Amino acid sequence: MALTSPAGRRGGKLSRRLSAALWFLLPFVLLAAVWVVIVEVTEVEMRIFPQITDVAGAFGELWSSGELFTHVGASLRRVVLGVIAAILTGIPFGILLGSSRWVAAFFAPLLRFSVALAGIAWIPLATLWLGYGERAVIFIVWNAMFFALAYNTMLGVQRIPTQLLRAARSMGTPRARMFTEVLLPGALPNIVTGLRVGLGYGWRGLVAAEIIAASAGVGYSIFLAQKFFRTDVIIAFMIVIGVLWLITDRAVLAPLERRTVERWGMKAVTA
Amino acid sequence: MTVSGATQRTRPAMGGFWWRRLGRSRVVRTFGPFVPVVLAWWAVAELEFFPAAFFVGPDVVVAEFAELIKKGILPAYLSDSVTRLWTGVVFGLLIGIPAGFLVAMSRWARRLTWPLLMFFQAIADIAWLPIVIVWFGFSLTAVTFVIVYTIVFPLMISIVAGVEQVPRDMVRAARSLGAGRFRVFTDVILPGALPAVATGIRTGLGYGWRALIAAEIIVGTSGIGFMMFDARRAGEVTGVFVGMIVLGILWFALDALVLAPFERSTIERWGMIQTAEVAR
Amino acid sequence: MSTLEIKNLHKEYVDAYTGETVTAVGDVSFSVDRGEFVSILGPSGCGKTTVLNVVAGFDKLTSGSVEVGGKPVTAPSPERGVVFQSFALFPWKTVLGNVAFGLRMRGVPRREREPVARQYLELVGLEGFERKFPHELSGGMQQRLGVARVLANEPEVMLMDEPFASVDAQTRRKLQEDLTDIFQAKRPTVFFVTHDVDEAVFLSDRVVVLSSRPSTVAEIVTVPLERPRNWRSVLENPDFRHTVTHLTDLLAGGRAHGEEQAERLSGRVDSSSEPPVRADAGGES
Ligand SMILES: Nc1ncnc2c1ncn2[C@@H]1O[C@H](COP(=O)(O)OP(=O)(O)OP(=O)(O)O)[C@@H](O)[C@H]1O
Ligand SMILES: [Mg+2]
Repeated sequence: MALTSPAGRRGGKLSRRLSAALWFLLPFVLLAAVWVVIVEVTEVEMRIFPQITDVAGAFGELWSSGELFTHVGASLRRVVLGVIAAILTGIPFGILLGSSRWVAAFFAPLLRFSVALAGIAWIPLATLWLGYGERAVIFIVWNAMFFALAYNTMLGVQRIPTQLLRAARSMGTPRARMFTEVLLPGALPNIVTGLRVGLGYGWRGLVAAEIIAASAGVGYSIFLAQKFFRTDVIIAFMIVIGVLWLITDRAVLAPLERRTVERWGMKAVTA
Repeated sequence: MTVSGATQRTRPAMGGFWWRRLGRSRVVRTFGPFVPVVLAWWAVAELEFFPAAFFVGPDVVVAEFAELIKKGILPAYLSDSVTRLWTGVVFGLLIGIPAGFLVAMSRWARRLTWPLLMFFQAIADIAWLPIVIVWFGFSLTAVTFVIVYTIVFPLMISIVAGVEQVPRDMVRAARSLGAGRFRVFTDVILPGALPAVATGIRTGLGYGWRALIAAEIIVGTSGIGFMMFDARRAGEVTGVFVGMIVLGILWFALDALVLAPFERSTIERWGMIQTAEVAR
Repeated sequence: MSTLEIKNLHKEYVDAYTGETVTAVGDVSFSVDRGEFVSILGPSGCGKTTVLNVVAGFDKLTSGSVEVGGKPVTAPSPERGVVFQSFALFPWKTVLGNVAFGLRMRGVPRREREPVARQYLELVGLEGFERKFPHELSGGMQQRLGVARVLANEPEVMLMDEPFASVDAQTRRKLQEDLTDIFQAKRPTVFFVTHDVDEAVFLSDRVVVLSSRPSTVAEIVTVPLERPRNWRSVLENPDFRHTVTHLTDLLAGGRAHGEEQAERLSGRVDSSSEPPVRADAGGES
């Protein structure tokens, strides 16, 4: 999934970069222009749809009052904790399941069922078990990711070519080391997919859980703003959410993929 | 006459044979694993590891399930949820598939929309819920909007990727065999990208489905999500369990009746299994 | 003194789905001496790969015995390194990482294993590629890496299953010459599976010819060629051509035999007509 636009390949490196950047920005500029014109022409009320300047104003306000950082910080903290928990549990669990054909066949339908339910559908139960608050939200992020990650890891382990496992065994790899030497790197293309899918669920789970069970965070703020019809604040936070996700994708997932799966020439299954 | 060297057939032991046959049946392979899980669930509930206010056994859930059906609540809520999902999915596909191919085929459309696609996909659909409610109130329109939104972007991105994956040589082969631009599209690119459409629908539905549940939980007045959260507010764990199981079964049905057949008839039949294996 | 000793190897597979028993190897006995290069040749499907897999420890034999260095084979071990047709290099390890893998598994410290690994890379002509990843090498280079990876372990015997079948004809010739040179230099014990007669003769000291299934050893042919060998001189050598002709005849005989059987078999199915067969099949499923 490349973010760069398919701009021309001719020209020097610098001018190519520059033109790629311009092509990347152009659609946003056009969108903003359309936005300004439509709001001007239709004179729509601010409580229905704000002018772009209102959103910028709201953003400035949130920035200078420090509210932005409080909420983004609270959300990021939950995501990081939930994601770490999911990685530490989901990947080993998936590898364990994947290393036996029978165990995998047994767990596959159960995991598919769980993946379908993971995340948001657990909010009522999570808040019942853990009460409203931090723990329930983190639980939802973990839960949203765990199953997708475990399932994809399992598939990844099953897809490692038999010859590779045999090669490792015939070179005397002890059973315990198969885990880090072969199974983990071999399953990595699918693990990355699992991370991406799981983060998508986790992120959505976070927003939903914050709306219901938190008193800070981006989800909470956006919903609070809705109660006061502050569409400018809502849209400001929506943009923040989008940017945060793009940063996660660009700054964490993409480099991980470039350094491993792509570097090793293992074909990643993109979606 | 001796048939040395040919494959020797030996009749396998009867018991082993039935066992193996059972293990091969699709139904058993799919639902078999749930049997021990339900038994374990029941045992955990019976042994009262957790207080009954937090955890109930399958017997209680089944009783509540029957009760809710008898009262007509469950069928009504279920049909509400399914209607919302269905409406959203239909509109999502109607918009997403043509738009996806347009962006994939036209350089200009691609240049102008690709960054926006990435950005709008990044704004989690659930984040649209508040403003959509400002616009439409909590109505079918609001929920449809959110579901359409969740489906359209993954679908479009997936289709673009799918069209790009159609081997160049296949297009060249078609052209050198006399196919025009239009025929190349209908006969090579469209079928070649179908697996990607399947993947996109699966991804989109996975998200759309969550958006629906979230909408019902957060602002709902009916539907399975609402039922679960209503039960939670009343502190009735049984209702929450019933809701989760209904949701699970609903997804299984969707998977088995809609998604899987579509994937089987495209991806697997043409031996392009790769993308379908990824869980969503 | 023989390094690899195979006695009356017999192997049957039970098909997991139909429950049928398939005889992959009928009755095979032969041995490979220390420092000897032995190829096994036979019609497709006669069980060459199966023999190799049993020796490698990937498959269990049904009856008979396989001993390496006097010890019966039970599981895969670095004593029996395998070079795969599909290369089976670890894509996530660099060239150096792949060669050093076996040493690392044995717990050889980094400082000691790197020089060894480099030495073997040099042996196969891959010096300067240490930091590359396998997918950045050509097919021929990948397989040379596969050979270096096994030799670095200094195994009792190196097992090779059609290692050059997936590279182009030019490269194959080059790799075969490289392999004889390496063999000349290091004198490993090699057990080589192929169905290319020229290759078998060019590389080997002896060639074991299997009959079609159920496979038995049809003949063990000693190759009367001097070492060092290279294709240019070998192709002009009448001994080479004689041996190749002899082996080709052997294989052709085996194939004719197989066709005969197939005919007889189809004759049987026809003559015994359908009803009883159907009934039998119906009872089974
Ligand atoms: N895992 C297995 N299960 C069932 N039958 C098998 C299995 N592996 C091999 N066979 C059967 O055993 C026989 C011998 O197979 P093998 O792969 O050893 O032949 P081969 O001589 O290596 O053939 P080729 O030259 O084509 O590589 C074949 O008839 C094959 O169908
Ligand atoms: Mg073979």
